Amino acid sequence: MRPLLIATALVGSLSLHAQAETADGAALIGQDWAKIAEMAKGGEVNFFHWGGSDTINRYIVENIGGRLQAEYGITLNSVPVADAAEVVALIAAEKQVGNVDAGTVDLIWINGENFKAMKAEGLAFCGYVETLPANALVDWTDASIAHDFGVPVEGCEVPWNRAQFAFAHDSATLAEPPQDIAALLDWIKANPGQFTYPAPPDFTGSVFVRHVFYHAAGGPAALMGPFDQAKYDAAAAKTWAILNEIEPFLWRQGKTYPTTVAQLNDLFANGEVALTFNYDAAQFGQAVDAGIYPDTVRSYGLADGTIGNTNYTLIPFNSPNKAAAMVAQDVLLSWEAQLAKADPAVWGAATVLSMDQAGAELAAQFQALPQHPSVVSPNELAELALPELQADWIAAIERGWIAEVGQK
Amino acid sequence: MRTAPPLWALLPALLVLAGLSGGGLALALGRVGWADWAAVLPDGRVWAALGFSLWIALASSLLAAVLGLALAMLLRQSFRGRRVVGGMVAASLTLPHAVVAVGMLFLLSQSGWLSRLAFALGLTDAPADFPALTHDGWGLGIILHYAWKEAPFVALVLLAALRGRIVEQEQAARSLGAGAWGAFRHVTLPALAPALLGASVITFGFALGAYEVPLILGTHDPQALPVLAWQAFADADLTRQPQAVAMALLLTGAAAALLLPLLFWLARGTP
Amino acid sequence: MKRLVPLSGAAVSLLLILPLLPLIFRSIAHGWRFPDLWPQQFSLRAWAFAFSSGAGTGPALAETVIIALMVALISVVVALPPAQLIGQHNFRGKGLLLALIALPLLLPPFAALMGLHGLFARLHLTGTRTGVILAHLIPALPYAIFILAALFARLDRGYVAQARSLGASPWQAFVRVTLPMIRPGLMLAFALTFLVSWGQYALTLMIGGGRVETLPLLLFSTLSAGRNDLTGALGLIYILPGLIILALTVRK
Repeated sequence: MRPLLIATALVGSLSLHAQAETADGAALIGQDWAKIAEMAKGGEVNFFHWGGSDTINRYIVENIGGRLQAEYGITLNSVPVADAAEVVALIAAEKQVGNVDAGTVDLIWINGENFKAMKAEGLAFCGYVETLPANALVDWTDASIAHDFGVPVEGCEVPWNRAQFAFAHDSATLAEPPQDIAALLDWIKANPGQFTYPAPPDFTGSVFVRHVFYHAAGGPAALMGPFDQAKYDAAAAKTWAILNEIEPFLWRQGKTYPTTVAQLNDLFANGEVALTFNYDAAQFGQAVDAGIYPDTVRSYGLADGTIGNTNYTLIPFNSPNKAAAMVAQDVLLSWEAQLAKADPAVWGAATVLSMDQAGAELAAQFQALPQHPSVVSPNELAELALPELQADWIAAIERGWIAEVGQK
Repeated sequence: MRTAPPLWALLPALLVLAGLSGGGLALALGRVGWADWAAVLPDGRVWAALGFSLWIALASSLLAAVLGLALAMLLRQSFRGRRVVGGMVAASLTLPHAVVAVGMLFLLSQSGWLSRLAFALGLTDAPADFPALTHDGWGLGIILHYAWKEAPFVALVLLAALRGRIVEQEQAARSLGAGAWGAFRHVTLPALAPALLGASVITFGFALGAYEVPLILGTHDPQALPVLAWQAFADADLTRQPQAVAMALLLTGAAAALLLPLLFWLARGTP
Repeated sequence: MKRLVPLSGAAVSLLLILPLLPLIFRSIAHGWRFPDLWPQQFSLRAWAFAFSSGAGTGPALAETVIIALMVALISVVVALPPAQLIGQHNFRGKGLLLALIALPLLLPPFAALMGLHGLFARLHLTGTRTGVILAHLIPALPYAIFILAALFARLDRGYVAQARSLGASPWQAFVRVTLPMIRPGLMLAFALTFLVSWGQYALTLMIGGGRVETLPLLLFSTLSAGRNDLTGALGLIYILPGLIILALTVRK
C-alpha cells in the first residue's frame, strides 16, 4: 500500500488546481467590497447547480458567466449536477480528511435538507452576506427569506430564487381540475388511473405528500418549529390512511409509482395521467416551448395554498476562491440578473428581491415582464403560499411514506 | 528462453488489483461498525433489493445465454449480409448502457414506440392496455435491456471458442450419421459449455452490479441494491454512509458466494 | 431453411437498431406524444443546444475522451508484464491467480469504491480526473491482462530467443521483436479498455462527485429534467466515438 499512497498523493497534489488564493474566509469578512472585488479579479468559480434545463444552463453560462468575465475577469465554470446531495457528500468527504482550503466546489445551488446538513456539519462559509452590495434589496425580516425550510439562514447563504408548487392540466382534455386537496382526493377516486405522484424520496413527490400531510393535520400552523413526534404520529396516521385509500385509483392501481418527476411529466405529456405538478411553475412554460406539452396546458395553485420555498447559493468552507464566489453571488443577486431571469423567455424564475426596497421604478419593470400563458403568475401563487417544514419533519415523512405506503 | 518479467514490472498491476480492488474492499469493511450492520441487516427493503438484483442478474444472464447461443449459431452460417449483421453485433457492444437504457425506455414504455404501433394496429385502445415493460415490479425492461446488450457479447465469446477442434469433431459426428440437431446437442453444445458458462458468469456479475439501468427502467419498489446503496451513500444524513457501505458489502458477499465456486471450477483446468 | 438464415439475419439487424431509432427521432422532434407513430413537427433546437456553450457538450466530450485514453493507455502498459507471465509461463497457483484477476469483473465495484472514497478524499483525489482514472482502472485492467495473456500464449517465442542469441538485450528483444508481433492484440486491448472507461457512469459519479463531468453525467442531467429531445441528441453524440473506435480497430 505504501508506494501507492505516496504515488497517489504525488499525483493528487499535482492535480490541485490554482493554489488557494482566497481560501481564508475570515480575512474577507468585514472587508471593503472594492477590496474583495479586487482580490476576486482573475479568479475561477466552480458553480455546482442542478443542470437539467437548457434554459437555466444557458442563463448561467451566457448571462452570469459572460458578465463575470467581462466585468471582473472571473471565469465561471458551470458544473451541472443531477442532485445537490452528491455534492454535499463530496464536500463532507473533503472535510473529513482535512481538506480545508482546496475544495473542489466554490459555489453551490442549494436549499432544504442539503443546506441543513452543510450548516450543521460546518461545511458552509458564513457571515459575509451583508458585504454584497446587491444584498441591499433583500428583505431579511421576511421569514421565508431568513429561514430555509425552517432553518435560520444566519448569513450562510444568499437567496437566489423563489419557487412555489403548482399543478398543471391540459385545458383541452380537463377543463376544470380539482382546486384543493379535498377535491383532488375525490377527483382521483372518480377518475381511476388518471393520477399518480413520484415516490418519495423524490423531491417533487415528497412535496406532494407534504400537501396531503398539511391537509390531514388541518393546516401547517401546528407543524412549524422543531420535529414533534406526537404531532407527527397523529398527522402521519391520517396521511397514510388517505394515501392508501386512493392508492387503488392511481395510475397502474398504485402498484408502482413513478420514481422521478421526469417520469410523471412523461406520463402527463402522453395523456396517461391528467395532472402533473412541479416545484417551479416556470418548468411548465419551458415544456410547452420545447413541444413536450401541448400549448393548451395551464397551471394553477390550490385554494388551500401550495408550499413555497426560497433557494439559495452557498460558498463551501473550503472553497479556494471565496472572493470570486462572493462576486458571483453578488451578480446572481443583482437586479439586472434577477430581472433577466424572471423573463419567461429566459427562465421565468421569481425574484428574491423585495419590491418595496427596490423602489417603484424597478418594481414596474418586474411587473411589466411578459407572462407565459401556461405558467401561473408568481404573484397569484404567492397569495396562498404555505411554509416548508423543517428538514427533520421531511425526512420522517419520507421514511414513513416508504414504510407505510410505498411498500404496502 | 523463458524470461519471466521482473518483479518490479508486475508491481503496477498488482497495485491496481490488490491495492485498489482489494484495498478498497478492506477499507469498506473498516468503515462499517456493528451498529451499521444492525441497522442494515434487519431491513426488509435491503433483502428485497438484494433479491431483486439477483433476479435481474439471473434472468438477464439466462436470456442473454440463450439468445447469444442462437446468435452465434446464426453468425456461423454463411449468408448474404452476414458481415453487416456481424458488424452491427460488434457495434452494439460499444454502446454505453445509459444510452441503450434510454432507447429502451423510448421503445418499451406504455407510451413508447411499440405501444404506439400496437395502438395504430388497433390492438390497444390506450397506453394502459399495453403491457407494463418498464418501471414494473419484475424488472422486465431491465432484463430485456441486459439481454439485448449482453447477447452479442456472449455470441462473440462463443464464436471465438467455435474455431479449430470443435469443427473437426462436428464433422466427424456428422460423417458418423448424426443429424444436425444431434451434432449440436452432443458435440457443439458440450464443447461450448465452458465458454458459455464463463460469458454468463461475467454477464451475471455485471447485471448484479447494475446501477444506471434500474435507475432509468426500474420501479420504486423493489429497487436494485446498488441503487438503494448509492441513495443511502449520497444521503444528506451523513450517518447513512456506513450503512450504504454495508449494503454494498452485502452485494459483494452475495456475488462472491455465488460466483467464486463457478470461477474456480472454470479455472481448474489450469495448474 | 436456406431462406430462414438471411431472414433471421435481417431480424437480428432490426432488433439491434430498434432501440436507437427513437433516440434519433426524439432529438429532432418538436414534441412527440402518444399516439403519434412519427413526430408531427421537427426542430433542431436540441442539436443547437447540444452544440452551444451552455450545454457543456464539448468539455464533457473532451473529458470523457481524455479519461478513456488515459485508462486505456495505463491499462495496456501495466497489463503487459503480468500478461506475459501468464501467457508464457506455467507455475503453481496460476489458475488461482487468473481467478483473482477476474474478480473485479465479476464482483460489483460499489463496495470497493465506497471504501476508496475516503482514502481518495484524503489524497485530494475525489472530484479530480486522476481519481476517476484510477477508479476506471479497476474494471478495465483485468480485460487488458486477459486479452494480452491470450496473445502472449499464441506467440512464437522462437523469434525472441533468436534475437537474444544474436546479442539483443531483453529490452531490445521486447521492443524490436515482441512488441511488433503483439500489435494487433495491443490495439484490441486498448480499444476494449477505452470502451470500458467510456461507458462508466456510476464510478465517475462516485469518485468525481459530479465535478468530473463526462458525457453520461450530462445525459442524466437532461434525463432528470424530462427533456427527451436533449437526451436524444446527447445520447447520439455519446455513441459516436465508440463506433469510430470500433471502425478503426476492425480496419487495422
